[in-house]
Amino acid sequence: MKLKIFLLSIILITSHAACTDLDIPPMNVIQDKDVFNTEGGVRIYMARCYSELAMEDFRYSPTRGTNHFWIINPQPANTGEALSRDLNGATAEQFNFWERAYPLIREANYFLQTMPAYAKNFPEADVNHWLGEAHFIRAFTYMALVKRYGGVPIVKEVLNYPEESIDELKVPRSSEQAVYDFIAEDLDFAYSNMKESSERGRANKYTAAAFKSRAMLYAGSIAKYNQIQLFDGSQNRLCGIPVAKANEYFKAAYDAAGLLDGKYSLYKKTWAAGDKQAQMDNYINLFFDESSPENILVKDYKYPETVHGYDAYNVPRQLMGGNGYSAEVNPTLNFVELFDGIPKNADGTIKTLDDAGKYILYTNTLDLFADAEPRLRATVIVPGDIFKNESIEIYRGIYTGPVTGGISRLLPEGSTAPYPAANIVSSPNAQQTPYTLPDNTKKNPAGRSGVFTADGTCAVSGFSVRKYLDPERPTAEVLENRSDQTWIEMRYAEVMLNRAEAAYELYAAGQAGNYLQDAFTLINQVRERAGANLLASAAALNNINIVRNERRKELAFENKVWWDLKRWRILDREQNGTVYRTLMPFFAANANKYFFDARPDERNSRYTFDNRWYYQEIPGSEISKSQNLIQNPGY
Amino acid sequence: MKKLIYHIALFVCILLTGACNKEFDDYPEPAETLAGNIKDANSKNNLQSEAGDRGMRLVLEELSWSATPTPYYFFAMQDGSFRNTKIFKGKYRISVEGPFVPLLQYDGSGAITVDNRKTMDVAGNTNVDFEVEPFLNVEWIGEPVYNSTDQTVSVQVRFTRGTANTAFHANVTDVFLFVSPNTYVGNNNYDNKYSVQVNYGGTSGNDQLGQTVTLTTKDKLPASRKFFLRVGARIDYGLKYYNYTTVKTIDIP
Repeated sequence: MKLKIFLLSIILITSHAACTDLDIPPMNVIQDKDVFNTEGGVRIYMARCYSELAMEDFRYSPTRGTNHFWIINPQPANTGEALSRDLNGATAEQFNFWERAYPLIREANYFLQTMPAYAKNFPEADVNHWLGEAHFIRAFTYMALVKRYGGVPIVKEVLNYPEESIDELKVPRSSEQAVYDFIAEDLDFAYSNMKESSERGRANKYTAAAFKSRAMLYAGSIAKYNQIQLFDGSQNRLCGIPVAKANEYFKAAYDAAGLLDGKYSLYKKTWAAGDKQAQMDNYINLFFDESSPENILVKDYKYPETVHGYDAYNVPRQLMGGNGYSAEVNPTLNFVELFDGIPKNADGTIKTLDDAGKYILYTNTLDLFADAEPRLRATVIVPGDIFKNESIEIYRGIYTGPVTGGISRLLPEGSTAPYPAANIVSSPNAQQTPYTLPDNTKKNPAGRSGVFTADGTCAVSGFSVRKYLDPERPTAEVLENRSDQTWIEMRYAEVMLNRAEAAYELYAAGQAGNYLQDAFTLINQVRERAGANLLASAAALNNINIVRNERRKELAFENKVWWDLKRWRILDREQNGTVYRTLMPFFAANANKYFFDARPDERNSRYTFDNRWYYQEIPGSEISKSQNLIQNPGY
Repeated sequence: MKKLIYHIALFVCILLTGACNKEFDDYPEPAETLAGNIKDANSKNNLQSEAGDRGMRLVLEELSWSATPTPYYFFAMQDGSFRNTKIFKGKYRISVEGPFVPLLQYDGSGAITVDNRKTMDVAGNTNVDFEVEPFLNVEWIGEPVYNSTDQTVSVQVRFTRGTANTAFHANVTDVFLFVSPNTYVGNNNYDNKYSVQVNYGGTSGNDQLGQTVTLTTKDKLPASRKFFLRVGARIDYGLKYYNYTTVKTIDIP
């Protein structure tokens, strides 16, 4: 012991004195020439950039950020798409995205600055493609910044200290408009310099155009709907875009989306007209088929190097894997009611009562969804649906009361009270005590996937998510950091919906052009593939909500909806003390049949969006570092 | 054992590297007091708000050092008064933010059109009042009434525009009766079980301006307890903060 301390002191003392200058490049640090002289080096540089891209993918949650393995606070539970036991109210993002974005911007800038010096080693087309790629990466990152914070500092070149003074490094925020224009400029450069196709997982010129359609649509919506103003002292509008610019941006989104015409198409490999099963299977496969013509930019995962835990966190309870997670994303009834093919009341809510006000009885829980839109069934596991060759059992309890003359509502319409204990047998958790039915057979009080009264690892809303869940993965492999399905960051359906929305906005603003007809055609193409009811005519497309709801259905559970609800500036109205609705199936013991009760979330999770969150708080640590940054309003 | 060695090594390192800083912070601690009230310019009464970060706050920019300082914020109390006894002596530009016509307004190009911020020296006990025009005046009409039949409480209120400036006449979006078992009652602190919100779509809320609005609590209020009531209303402007009535108490028999 004493000897060790003595040795340590010797080392410490000697090491403090060892400071001779050796003016040679360090041999263990990779130099520019090692990277930029070969195609392999460039590929490695790019691989890192792509892996750092701020995608809200399988490794994203609003509480922990991007590229995090633990995603038990799923984004869909923040938008009204779903309920989750681990995210029970509206939240802003709770991580410092700012400090993750600028290092990547620096890497893109470094590439743009260094590559030209080595260009002579490569064919010109390759160099241009790579430069375009760096512009794309930079634009992608600025997009991730501007949608969170509004106007941010635009850094176009590599900044160095001490060559630049501290004051020069404190770059102030640009206007929100300037950032969107900068993104457009970068993506235009990428479009005109990149090749038509690229390696899987990397951008090409059409990827740039697709992202431009997304960015410009966001900018147009902000210009049109945002009401928050923030100016700096030099008349730069850090939050908000002048309303007069809206049509210009919508037009840019519309035009950019048009560039992809004929280059990509909706995935319809196993689609068949009039065949709901085929349409459902087709829609499920769209997320797994590597050769899908719909994929524009994907992020591949591969076990064991790059992995995520989407299956482990989200499988229905009865298929739970070894880590003990399941059912984090449970679609709300509000979301399910957006779809076609389910019985509905005049106000669009699901019909569970007959004309006499008694519950409608069903032999199987799946019967209610017999005619449901295939896209719904491919997106959501409804009670009794088949997944991994198992019937997913979801019901809330057994109703033991009398059934002659029909069963009346268990609770008044809209009541948030818990279910009465009388006449209802339920189960607190998955360790169930079977209940003896009148015919002496036994039945569990709740389905194997829920709903349990005291254990949230179940279908708390009466539904479980299906989109992106790997139907082939054996339960033994349903583990954290074991899944490796591909994330599709941009697919052609989104480009079509971008274009349709921009077109409808232009039409609504009275712009001359064939916009309404165009939006109508696009919406119907998306609907046809989904197996949804088609719009009868262009005149039937008479409300922006038709376009928006199509987007909410098509892109659900892809972590896009929160940003959409924010840019439409409607989230504060949607989440205003809101309790989302759930659908609770019950088994009526004396009728040997099921009925459904639509009710507000029994857990009473209440969602209120804070208007300040339209522009997120700039992390205080960033303002401490750069005092020129002006905080967003209200923080 | 190993751990101990690491700890000792770390300690030695800290000693070696940290032992040459002889400067220390010898500024006096902040001791000046800034106090005052935020008042309704018309009635001269204090403007009601909620405690915390969706209420009203002071914005202090200390101009002694920089023309563009990072602002220092502190919150006003829910009765519209404020008091901070730990302010550094210096020259400040002071503003308030909340559910009223902003003291600092811009035109579409970002040029300042209205600037009612106050620039002053803060030294000793500095008092300053701000007179602002709230978006809405929310007033009680009569006292809360206990309905013994269904154990609820009904209140009557009226809300009117607090400013003649039509740029701040956005639609009234909702009116909210907040019920709480303690005095800090408002959108930041209320009981969902009893509080009731009435949402208005489009311009329908504007039709209620100047009308008597009756609100009744949800569910049954438990007996033999005191509850604190307050009504808030807001317009679709900016960050959509509420304007409030004063707090009233009711004893449930």
